[in-house]
Amino acid sequence: MANVLDLRRRIRSVRNTRQITKAMKMVSAAKLRRAQERAISARPYAAMLASVLESLKRRAEIYDPETGECRHPLLLTRPEKRILLVVVSGDKGFAGAFNTNIFKATANFISENGEKQIDIDTIGRKGRDLFRRRYPAAQFSETHEENQRPDRQRGSAIEVFGGPTAALDRINYDAIRELTDEIISLYVHEEIDAAYLVYNEFKSVIQQRVVVERLLPIVSLTVREIERAEEPSLEERERAAEAALSAGVSLYPHEAEAAQKQLEDEAKNFGTAEVDYIYEQPPQEIFADVLPRYVTSQIYHATLESIAAEHAARMTAMDSATNNASDMIDSLTLTMNRVRQAAITKEIIEIVSGAAAL
Amino acid sequence: MPDQLKVRLVTPDRILVDQTVEAVEVPGKSGYFEVLYGHAPLLSEIGAGEVRLHGGEAGEQRYVVARGFVEVLPERVTILAESAQKPEEIDSGAVQEQLQHGEKLWNEAGDDAEKYAHANEVIAEAEAKLESAGAGKH
Repeated sequence: MANVLDLRRRIRSVRNTRQITKAMKMVSAAKLRRAQERAISARPYAAMLASVLESLKRRAEIYDPETGECRHPLLLTRPEKRILLVVVSGDKGFAGAFNTNIFKATANFISENGEKQIDIDTIGRKGRDLFRRRYPAAQFSETHEENQRPDRQRGSAIEVFGGPTAALDRINYDAIRELTDEIISLYVHEEIDAAYLVYNEFKSVIQQRVVVERLLPIVSLTVREIERAEEPSLEERERAAEAALSAGVSLYPHEAEAAQKQLEDEAKNFGTAEVDYIYEQPPQEIFADVLPRYVTSQIYHATLESIAAEHAARMTAMDSATNNASDMIDSLTLTMNRVRQAAITKEIIEIVSGAAAL
Repeated sequence: MPDQLKVRLVTPDRILVDQTVEAVEVPGKSGYFEVLYGHAPLLSEIGAGEVRLHGGEAGEQRYVVARGFVEVLPERVTILAESAQKPEEIDSGAVQEQLQHGEKLWNEAGDDAEKYAHANEVIAEAEAKLESAGAGKH
């Protein structure tokens, strides 16, 4: 049996670990609150964009009235042979199954579309590292002629693109816009036939799921096209709720934000008033201008949600770790006391039997 | 007051301005225009330039905006802009860099109309920023 000194050391070490996980939990809770605010304050813009597009759609004559053909390249659908996946993961580990879930969803998607060519673009360091290890990078031959797109040298069915490298904490709209511009130009030049976004959706601390959403082609502006979604189990939700409660994070941030809600409702009506607008530019032109922005705002929104989800997942994971450490300390303390007691008892027996032998 | 205009300036990150003013100047893509209460409904893209708010609670206010569009309703103006800053927040070093980047694009654009337009946009944005940053100092 272990001796008292060893056990005491063990307890001290576990206690130190608990201190760290507790601190990480509180830090994540604070970051979560900030990320949540960021995600929520980004909503009006996205909602307004969507609604103005929706109202423009009616006037912009996207479909040629004679042939019924679509006029905007981003609305064109083609048979999906080449797919671009944009995977939004976290920057750091220690967030429970957060990153694993994303990768699992991506792997499932890839294996279901095994016969197609798939490119992967990543946002977040964890995903970038993983997919770079697993799949070869896309190779382009240099072209020196102007106005020509670089030739793609495809070596493997699944390849990885660069993606933005900024840390997620500091990621801004411009970085996402660059990524979107790239994706859109790939789509317009028919180098990909569809683009999907894999990310962690964040509704609230207890409502998160991994979502695969179609980005391009845009078929509907108001309904999000979710290919598949993986909901967390009830148990996981309870766990998250507990963690949030002990960290002082409100479970339903929306309740406190009635004003925000009203704003969002108003945002939905943006540009849809039943009046005949004077269009400074032809509606088609405005439509063509706004559509790429819509895609950007979708990716941006997904990134912000994923950041919030990451902090929430880390908070939950660290809360579990703290609880486990506490349990471990309890059981170790119990064992230690037992061992000490046993030693004392043994000594007493020795003394007593020694005295009895006299 | 009944004849006041509600103005909202929205960026991807947050709602920057939400207040009532007497008039607002907007940099439309084809030139500045001023909106007063009761303007006819209008939808326009915006170019790089300044949004100027007149007669609001906080007095005269200016914001440098770029890339976006504006919806005008008789009692409300909503401006959506990808980038919006106060003139005093502008980092002139970064803008100079942007300007140089734009000029580089412009030189490299060759015959490609798309690239050329993009370069012009970048330059216009940088110049608008520089101008209003400079104007604020006088």
